[in-house]
Amino acid sequence: MEQLAKQKIIQDLLPQKFGKQGKIWVAGLIVLCIIGVVAYIRQLSKGLVVTGMRDYVSWGIYISNFVFFVAISLVGSLITAVLRLTNVHWSTPLTRIAEIIAVSAITFASLIIIVDMGRPERFYNLFLHGRLQSPIIWDVIVITTYFFISILLLYFPLLPDLKIMLEVKKGFSKGMLKFYSYLGSFWKHTPGQIKLSEKAIGILAVTIIPVAFSIHTVTSWLFATTYRPGWDSTNFGAYFISGAFLVGAGGVVVAMYVFRSHYNLKEYITYDHFDKMGKVLVMLALLYLYFNVNEFLVPAFKMKKPEEEHLRGLFTGEFAPIFWFAITTSMLVPILILITKKGRRPFPAFIAGVLVVIGSWFKRYIIVTPTLLHPFLPMQDVPANYKHYFPTWEEWAIAIGSLAGALLVITIFARIFPIIPIQETITEKEEHEKALS
Amino acid sequence: MKKHYHRILLAIFGLLPLLMMAQNAEKNSLSLTLKYFNNNNQTQYLVVQAKSKIDGKFQQIPNIPISFYIASETVKENLLGKAITNEKGEASLLIPPTAKAAWIKTINPNFIVVSEATKKFDEGRGDVTITKAKIKIDTADGRVINATVMAMKDSIWVPVKGVDLSIAVKRMGGNLNVNETQTFTTDSLGAVTAEFKRDSLPGDATTGKLTLIATVTDNETYGNLTAEIPAVWGNKCNYNAEFDRRTLFARRGHSPIWLELMAYGIILAVWGVLLYLIIQLRKIIKLGA
Amino acid sequence: MNTNDNSRREFLATGLLAGLALAGCSTKKNPFDELANDVKPSGEMVKLLSVDGEVIEIDKAFLKPVPDLPQVSNEAARMGIAGKKFVMVIDLARCKSLKKCQSACNHMHHIHPGQNWIKVYPMQDAEHTAPYWQPTTCMHCDEPPCVKVCPVDATFKRQDGIVLIDSDRCIGCRFCMAACPYSTRVFNWEEPSLEKEIADKPYSCETSVPQKMGTVGKCDFCPDMARKGELPHCVSACPNGVFLFGDMLEDTVTNGAETFRFSDLIKDKAGYRLMEDLGTKPSFYYLPPVGRNFPFENNEKKEATK
Repeated sequence: MEQLAKQKIIQDLLPQKFGKQGKIWVAGLIVLCIIGVVAYIRQLSKGLVVTGMRDYVSWGIYISNFVFFVAISLVGSLITAVLRLTNVHWSTPLTRIAEIIAVSAITFASLIIIVDMGRPERFYNLFLHGRLQSPIIWDVIVITTYFFISILLLYFPLLPDLKIMLEVKKGFSKGMLKFYSYLGSFWKHTPGQIKLSEKAIGILAVTIIPVAFSIHTVTSWLFATTYRPGWDSTNFGAYFISGAFLVGAGGVVVAMYVFRSHYNLKEYITYDHFDKMGKVLVMLALLYLYFNVNEFLVPAFKMKKPEEEHLRGLFTGEFAPIFWFAITTSMLVPILILITKKGRRPFPAFIAGVLVVIGSWFKRYIIVTPTLLHPFLPMQDVPANYKHYFPTWEEWAIAIGSLAGALLVITIFARIFPIIPIQETITEKEEHEKALS
Repeated sequence: MKKHYHRILLAIFGLLPLLMMAQNAEKNSLSLTLKYFNNNNQTQYLVVQAKSKIDGKFQQIPNIPISFYIASETVKENLLGKAITNEKGEASLLIPPTAKAAWIKTINPNFIVVSEATKKFDEGRGDVTITKAKIKIDTADGRVINATVMAMKDSIWVPVKGVDLSIAVKRMGGNLNVNETQTFTTDSLGAVTAEFKRDSLPGDATTGKLTLIATVTDNETYGNLTAEIPAVWGNKCNYNAEFDRRTLFARRGHSPIWLELMAYGIILAVWGVLLYLIIQLRKIIKLGA
Repeated sequence: MNTNDNSRREFLATGLLAGLALAGCSTKKNPFDELANDVKPSGEMVKLLSVDGEVIEIDKAFLKPVPDLPQVSNEAARMGIAGKKFVMVIDLARCKSLKKCQSACNHMHHIHPGQNWIKVYPMQDAEHTAPYWQPTTCMHCDEPPCVKVCPVDATFKRQDGIVLIDSDRCIGCRFCMAACPYSTRVFNWEEPSLEKEIADKPYSCETSVPQKMGTVGKCDFCPDMARKGELPHCVSACPNGVFLFGDMLEDTVTNGAETFRFSDLIKDKAGYRLMEDLGTKPSFYYLPPVGRNFPFENNEKKEATK
């Protein structure tokens, strides 16, 4: 009986070949990536002049996209580390989804920052001439570290699953099996190995939390270490991290729904998961709302001269539509949806998750760009188009291409590896049954 | 026939101004202004400025080749040298020893500059005649500066009356007058006396040395003359550039100690843990082998 | 042989440098200075004719400007001129926005069309306060926020107070542009349009020429001119004498025609610095627009409203 249940779990959770929908999805993503690459080649040859950025708006959607990626990557630490350390077990099936989102997002965060550079071929200068005083160097250090930890956190729990797949053999091509055995043929699932691995995962879970906080705090410092209205805030680190957890959790809910419906994982990602993640989302949205109130109400109460223009632009001016759209879709509407029990069923939760992710992307845009259009000295002695910013098709293509690329990495990962940890699910079930008997 | 002759003549004379205008439209006339300088009674040089009126505005013309002559431009031996005008339309030339014979011959040497016609500009010519002169400068007790303007007369140096000159502290880009008087005029003995009133003006680092300078500027007869003398009337200027101070805005390798300690401490701690985990992984691999 | 030559040239350059630094610089009208006995002789003698008709020999190192003044090395450009602390003073009472400073600067630095390192702002702080023209260049802050954030030492603070950019080093991250509260930095979004002759020159931090695509540019206080003992291009271009430049350690600023004792000038006319509250400590002072030479007339605005 037990053996049968185990076999079923393995069969259910093994990576599956792309269906028709899957193939269309992958093809679409590849096309978007290619368009992005073409746009980037244009940018390389002509310079950043192909973007809508100019001297005043010197950071545009590349940077807001970067912040978005870094934000969403924080979810790896939330789901795997924070929930694990607080002894929450329902999140076990979600850990790998969260980790791959983290790895792929942090990879594309690094790529998009290179895209934003005027001289990408001089990237090596960061290592050759790096100045420890610059927050960018801090960012380079913490992002590298976070990437490395996330890879390890993805790898250790994968080892038992590699063994399972190597044993099943059926349905895998020779090349894939070779790849699996290259990655994990040494895993024999001996008690010694399990003990070492569990210890390592425990240490990683503790380590990843401060590092995750660092990546997003340092990213917020790229803005907060300047004098500009809207960025000059001591609240920025916490504000960014709360927003990051929100968008990350939103992303996980979306991924949960997609994997659940396309890989037929209804028994593993249950209503209960959506219910709990929904509650987590509400909490995070409220937390982020709290920081938003802090971030805008306090300066708006004082209305210091440099802040005034900036805040009026957000509340009622040029940026008001995007500002209120971002606030509404990333926080208010998801809270309203998810606060009811019915709203936390898979589909409404999925919609709420999508809204959170989209709203959060625009929220990052609102954080980056409007500030740059309100410098201390008036905008003067520049061509008229320097005084506004709208991304060009190249920028959109590259930004969308990078998002597509991140999704592609997640998709391919799910094609090669079980997206829900098999061994951990079995172990949990066994322990659960043991506890019952 | 005679009528025709007149017509042709008329036509020629009528066309002439037009032709000249056409030439003018292509080429601009070039004006060369020449100035003579005698610095501290040692270095003598000439500076020429090339200007042209283009679109109703005087503009400084760079890249004009200039030939400098003494006495006359027709004699080849009188060529002092050549130079090309810079971005500011200026070209300068030190008076070389080859001019010695021509220089000694007269007390009123004449300098000429000539530029040949270029694609855009007509040829230009400028000249200046000066009377050989120099300034003697000295300091006296009570922070007083005495300067005398001397000119060459019948092969001897004699003092000259009524020459305007300034007495100043030599500074970068301009000279700071030693007191509120902008210009002094020499008396019948060719002398002026100026009191140094710039108290506690920074001088050099070790002694507070200042360089005092007397200047005759654009004098019609004598050109531009200067004479300098050091005086230890300033304050010692001790400036600590703090270039090597460890600050957030210092160069690489000069970050504040607290930052280095924090950063390297954190990096070592975290990567130490990661290294430990790699070792754990190797242990796992060994167990499986 | 070649290396020998180079080292001698560098020696010559450092000699000049020391001379400029310690003895003070000659005026525009007096580019030669042999009294600077701190200058290390180069060994290369130039024969000259003295006013007495004698042939004298003077070391080439004492002649300024040296006709072929070699470009200083990148290391020397990063160090700056020892014993100098450059300062600029703007007399707002004299500015009528002729923008001669701007055009001279653009021309001499071969700036891409449309870019300006000098900007002349029409300022009016509040409805009932006086309008005035405010020229700004880089403030060359003593605690420069742009240098703080540069990840690769591409922008740096020198011992003479000047903040420069190494366009061969800059990675184009534009963090410095975000960090500068004075909006002084510009970016080369496209390949700057330069004559081939200029574009082929090796980049020098001191001349900021040639500008390069994908890197940041800004006012450099013309340290190449300072090495020659001359004033920055904006200073000599201004017909109204708005710009005054000098060495704080000489306590003197000048626009070429007029020279003032810096401390007295700032004291007498109540000079101030921009955005003092940010703690950037600019090397750039303004004299308030009191007792103006010209009334404030903003023709640009009139044209814009038409």
